[in-house]
Amino acid sequence: MKDLANDFPILEQKVYGKRLVYLDNAATTQKPNSVIDTISDYYRTDNSNIHRGAHYLSEVSSERYEEARKKVSDFIGARNSSEVTFTSGTTGSINQVARSLGPSLRGKEVLVTGVEHHSNIVPWQLAGATVNAIPMDEDCNLLIDSMEITNKTKLIAIAHVSNVLGCVNEIKEITEIAKDHDIPVLVDAAQSIQHLPLDVKDIGCDFLAFSGHKMYASTGVGVLYTSDRFSDITPAIGGGGMIDRVSLDKTTYLDPPLRFEAGTPDIAGAISISAAIDHMQKIGMDKIKKHEQEVYSYSRDRLLEMDNVTVYGNTNEMCGAISFNLDNIHHYDTGLILDKMGVAVRTGHHCAQPLMGSLGIEGTVRASFALYNTKEDVDMLIEGIEKVEMMYK
Amino acid sequence: MNDAIQNEIIEEFDGLEWFDKYSLLISFGKKLKPMDEEFKTEDNSISGCQSKVWVRSYNKDGKLSFDLDSDAMITKGIIALVAKVVNDRYPQEILNADLYFIDKIGLKSNLSPARSNGLESIINRIKEVATNEANSNDLKN
Repeated sequence: MKDLANDFPILEQKVYGKRLVYLDNAATTQKPNSVIDTISDYYRTDNSNIHRGAHYLSEVSSERYEEARKKVSDFIGARNSSEVTFTSGTTGSINQVARSLGPSLRGKEVLVTGVEHHSNIVPWQLAGATVNAIPMDEDCNLLIDSMEITNKTKLIAIAHVSNVLGCVNEIKEITEIAKDHDIPVLVDAAQSIQHLPLDVKDIGCDFLAFSGHKMYASTGVGVLYTSDRFSDITPAIGGGGMIDRVSLDKTTYLDPPLRFEAGTPDIAGAISISAAIDHMQKIGMDKIKKHEQEVYSYSRDRLLEMDNVTVYGNTNEMCGAISFNLDNIHHYDTGLILDKMGVAVRTGHHCAQPLMGSLGIEGTVRASFALYNTKEDVDMLIEGIEKVEMMYK
Repeated sequence: MNDAIQNEIIEEFDGLEWFDKYSLLISFGKKLKPMDEEFKTEDNSISGCQSKVWVRSYNKDGKLSFDLDSDAMITKGIIALVAKVVNDRYPQEILNADLYFIDKIGLKSNLSPARSNGLESIINRIKEVATNEANSNDLKN
């Protein structure tokens, strides 16, 4: 495989005189030239507001925006591109669903997993629901057989991949059970869309949320897939562009996708997602998965063979992020020293405090990978960790 | 404020590479007397830090001193230096203090509000205590 990092100009730089080893991809990924160029070209030649203008540029930008929607729709295997809505990101997508379903969730239960990001917990609480977790074992395998669905359960909302541990949850098994109970399922795909080939029909979910910036596109834009089954839900946000007719007595809404896109969307952002998908598809999602698996397994093996390192989580399938701590050394200290070695990691609770509670820890050091990372990057991480240990002796 | 202490710290860090700077901070951290567990309460803790930080203050003959602790060693090293500079000072001295040593020894990036170790929050807490003490002294007088 050719050096995939070459397409990412930011990775050429040195930090503190050392080669930048960027292992904070679960927070955000870097952007390939094709995405950067797409964004700047859009503003140079095509910029205009969409869906409204009677002029040439508005036609061009509307077309590009709708092409982006179609691209996303095909990428995630949606039946119809009207099921794809552009949002501000995963958090925006989940909040949108929480607001739309709000009245039906109040006083009821939303089932999540024990590894959720706060953005798949707090929106449900704000909607007035009780949030309970599907039990898991100490390795963070979901105990799906012990999942309790009651008549209060109105939604199952689960991360596809843990942003902290990299555990891949068995979402298909869950959607099958949910179907038997006629309970909708939302999948938080923020940490899977960039790593695994994904098909919403195959998964069988009703909602799927992800961010542009974690899949090589720009920040501030994301996607919400809403199955046709829910095409008539109340829009979460009202305003221009989503209405059929407005009067002071009564307003009617357009059908999806515009129904769920009030106001001017992040047009350049949506187009950047399209460019990012092109970039990934040019390499091939299966190839990306295979390459990342090699790097991921290598990092896991290297970390596990270290005496004073604890690695958290151990499930059948893992990808993206790996979390660990060094014995008797605070994760923040480890992160600070790794930073000076040019190795960018994240430390802390990673917006997953319930998971930290289950693990009985305050935080972890998290290394997270993208398609441009290599085994050499892992070697630099390990070298950094050895340096940390040396400094504490 | 006693600039001699700050100047001494600056001299100690002068010319050191990051590795030695952090090693020095770790050694200061290790030397800082740990706070008794019973005082590591929610009230004494500073929120918004990636590492936990606890602050206690006491007043002796009108002068303020601070007990500081953290669960992260580098943070502990930094707060040990802060304590060294601000301890045993009158509240007004602390309020007027310009803690220029932080910048001079290359820890300014740790001071930015965006940096989550919250050195700024720690200094704000110390100044807040000094403000309260200064105000209560005014009332007494």
